[in-house]
Amino acid sequence: MDVTLTVNGRREQVEVGPAETLLGMLRERLRLTGTKEGCNEGECGACTVLVDGLPVDSCIYSAAATSGRSVETVEGLADDDLGRDLQAAFVAAGGVQCGFCTPGFLTTLVAVLRENPEPSEPELREALAGNICRCTGYSQILDAVAATISGRNRR
Amino acid sequence: MSVIGERVPRSDGRAKASGDAEYGVDHAEPGMIWGALVRSPVSSGRITRLDTAPALAMPGVHAVVTAADAPDTRAGWVLRDQRLFAADRVLYEGQPVAAVAADTLELAREAAAAVVLEIEPLPAVVDLDAALRPDAPLVHPDWESYVPALGPDADYPRHGNLAAESVSDPPGVDDAFARAHRVVTDEFVVQRQYQAYIEPKSAVGTYRDGRYTVHTAHQFPYNVRDRVSQFLDVRPSAVRIVGHTIGGGFGAKLDAALEPYAALLSKAARGRAVKLVNTRTEDLLTCPSREGAITRVRSALDEDGTIIARELEVIADNGAYSGEMPWLASIALHCARGVYQAGPTRVTARLVYTNTAPTGAFRGVNGTYLYHAVERHMDHIAAELGVDRREYRLRHLFDDGEELLNGQVLTDAGILREGFDAIEAAAPWAKLEAERRPYRGVGIAAAWWLTNPMPGTAVVKLHEDGTAAVITAATDNGSGAVSMGVTQIVAERLGIPPSDVFVTLPDTDVAGFDAGSQGSRTTRIVGKASQIAADEVITKLKDVAAGLLEAAADDLEVADGTVRVKGAPGTSVPIAVVAATATNTVGPIQGTGSFVTPFPDFNPGCATGLMLPSFPTPTYHVHLAEVEVDPVTGTVQVLRYLVAQEVGAVISPDGTYGQVMGGVTQGIGYALHESLRIGEDGRYRERTLESYRLPLAGDVPRVEFFPLEHPDPDGPHGAKGVGEGPILLPAAVIANAVGDAIGRPLNNIPITPEEVLAALQTAELRNVEEHMR
Repeated sequence: MDVTLTVNGRREQVEVGPAETLLGMLRERLRLTGTKEGCNEGECGACTVLVDGLPVDSCIYSAAATSGRSVETVEGLADDDLGRDLQAAFVAAGGVQCGFCTPGFLTTLVAVLRENPEPSEPELREALAGNICRCTGYSQILDAVAATISGRNRR
Repeated sequence: MSVIGERVPRSDGRAKASGDAEYGVDHAEPGMIWGALVRSPVSSGRITRLDTAPALAMPGVHAVVTAADAPDTRAGWVLRDQRLFAADRVLYEGQPVAAVAADTLELAREAAAAVVLEIEPLPAVVDLDAALRPDAPLVHPDWESYVPALGPDADYPRHGNLAAESVSDPPGVDDAFARAHRVVTDEFVVQRQYQAYIEPKSAVGTYRDGRYTVHTAHQFPYNVRDRVSQFLDVRPSAVRIVGHTIGGGFGAKLDAALEPYAALLSKAARGRAVKLVNTRTEDLLTCPSREGAITRVRSALDEDGTIIARELEVIADNGAYSGEMPWLASIALHCARGVYQAGPTRVTARLVYTNTAPTGAFRGVNGTYLYHAVERHMDHIAAELGVDRREYRLRHLFDDGEELLNGQVLTDAGILREGFDAIEAAAPWAKLEAERRPYRGVGIAAAWWLTNPMPGTAVVKLHEDGTAAVITAATDNGSGAVSMGVTQIVAERLGIPPSDVFVTLPDTDVAGFDAGSQGSRTTRIVGKASQIAADEVITKLKDVAAGLLEAAADDLEVADGTVRVKGAPGTSVPIAVVAATATNTVGPIQGTGSFVTPFPDFNPGCATGLMLPSFPTPTYHVHLAEVEVDPVTGTVQVLRYLVAQEVGAVISPDGTYGQVMGGVTQGIGYALHESLRIGEDGRYRERTLESYRLPLAGDVPRVEFFPLEHPDPDGPHGAKGVGEGPILLPAAVIANAVGDAIGRPLNNIPITPEEVLAALQTAELRNVEEHMR
């Protein structure tokens, strides 16, 4: 079946299979490989993208269900003011190590900060419960968020 | 301005944060098809039927291969004990029996499922003690015929299910136990730990013109080259390994996994590129996880409570094949009496074959459970004696010049005391004890560790625009050792910004041998090799610039992107101009450097099976944790975590702290969350990331870190290894802290909520009994 949707602000018409996941559609059909598959069971959060602004695990989200919706992936964050700030802060603060979880953290955090521009650290740790990072121990990711918030407040 | 010790953004950071970075799983080639493995569903059995015809008959299937299609040979890192495919017997759940290549991944998996495989189950060897009994079934009845990878002369003690053994039996142990005032005995049991990198393993193989090329995100490309060459029975240079960005490894991507299958499938599919990717469950079930182990330790004490002798026996689970494990068995010798005086110490390390997935390297190999055992034991002794745990440690703590069981002399072990002092300044022990509250506890522990000495090499090539390329097979597993460490070291030497230094991804056809990202070696070894290469570049730059500046080469220096006359910075010429001039006159400028750390002196007669004889480039570590136990749920929250670590010199503050924070987090997972149980049938109980519970953002405190800098004269800018040390002690300090919190010893790892509740109930029952008496 064909679905028509918006991906990173661009209208796309894609043919998808009935059991196809959003992750499979993004990576295989649209070659947007920035979104990663870590577990294919909705546990690790590496495949997080935004559907109509809400973070979802794209590995367990039906491609067909995106019809008429707007999808944002890590590749689109450079066009988003908040996304760009977070990307730069992750690199500057040491929030990136192997980087495989990074796209999922960035998309999750864009959604979190749009909703609540100044979350407390406990609120952030709770909001990140669906994203696993095996390298950093999370502290430098939290530093990156703090730097993003203070940088945006200064502007 | 120096860039050493400065916060420099990692060179691969932007690509990783934008989604541009190409990981192993992202790699694709024109005309690529997909592979899948047929794996054994049981841990021990005899193959009674294997029929590939139904799979081969499916449209879109290009090839199906089994043991009959692979060379009749065995391969292995240390011991050649492993076949590519199970031929008659299967020895662990998940062992490959056949491989399929087809047009799509879905079709490849369907075809794999269509292969008919029937197995008659056999008893599984699982229990470590039982595996060593004389009547135990042999995992490898042909063990005697196996040859060490380095040839028959490199053989080591092994027999039947005993995959390797290292024994040190110095004089005086039995005498001391005979005259001991008191003997304290313990047994500790630890489970396996899955590395759980977020990028599952993958490989893309091609066979063209008589050579195999495999694209893979690998920590040690030269090792996977050697393994592919062994399995496929071709010489090593007939295999080319091309590296990609690695989505985490932690030791699990040091040996070959899917690479030889991708290579063989491509040959069977007439040279089409074939891609294999593990599902998460395949990855978990077959990963060379950290080995489970039983450690038994007893110490003899004199009337003052001083330790006068010790005995430590460790039995570790090798799994069904050997991997790197035999090489690591003698680490027990270095940890049993590693930082505290303990008198003559007998150490027995046994590695045991079982019908389970082969174990392997995980950050801090063997050290995590050996230090857990020694440090839990120290707390136990202090409790028996009724003395303060910290004070008791300080009483036995090594000083400068201590000679170890292997004869290695630690000239700088006094740094350990500096570590205790650094922790004390931030978290005074007496204050922690005075502020004690119910269900809160603290633990403290110390360790020493090595920096892996194995060789590395680099070529530094100067481009005509004044930027530099570093050609090396070193890999950045995420630590930043290449993207920050090596990059900074070359930038510093050449006087150019780190953003003008490009380090290549590994390619074994291009870059010389490198021993991979293991043992915290890359910044030190490859950094040093790159520094030597940069020095050759500098010599050549000066020679060419001498003509341009009409000055003697000895009077020149390379700095700030120029070659200039010392003391007369106005008389200078840009590096780019010198590089371009060189290309057209004497030839392009590049330099080569190689480095390896010699092993420290040791006594070869101190032990049998001394495969890793001593610890080069030692570092020292002291950790403290404060925990709170929830008596209702049994969960443990780590409230505070402190690390004092000797690092040589900090090259990158973000990289160093990233290793400490990340390593401690993996250690907290090991101590509290990551349960990986093996059933009596040899199969894992936890099989997905839902049941294998990794530490989340809410599970870890921000680690308070106190770097101790003692620059190493041989390291680049004094650097030593950093990455492994942080994971050595969390299990030790957390177990001690939980024991302190609930007043009951917990001697198994992980300390799950169930175990905490069981211990609390035992304690309650005891209180009630005492009350009624």
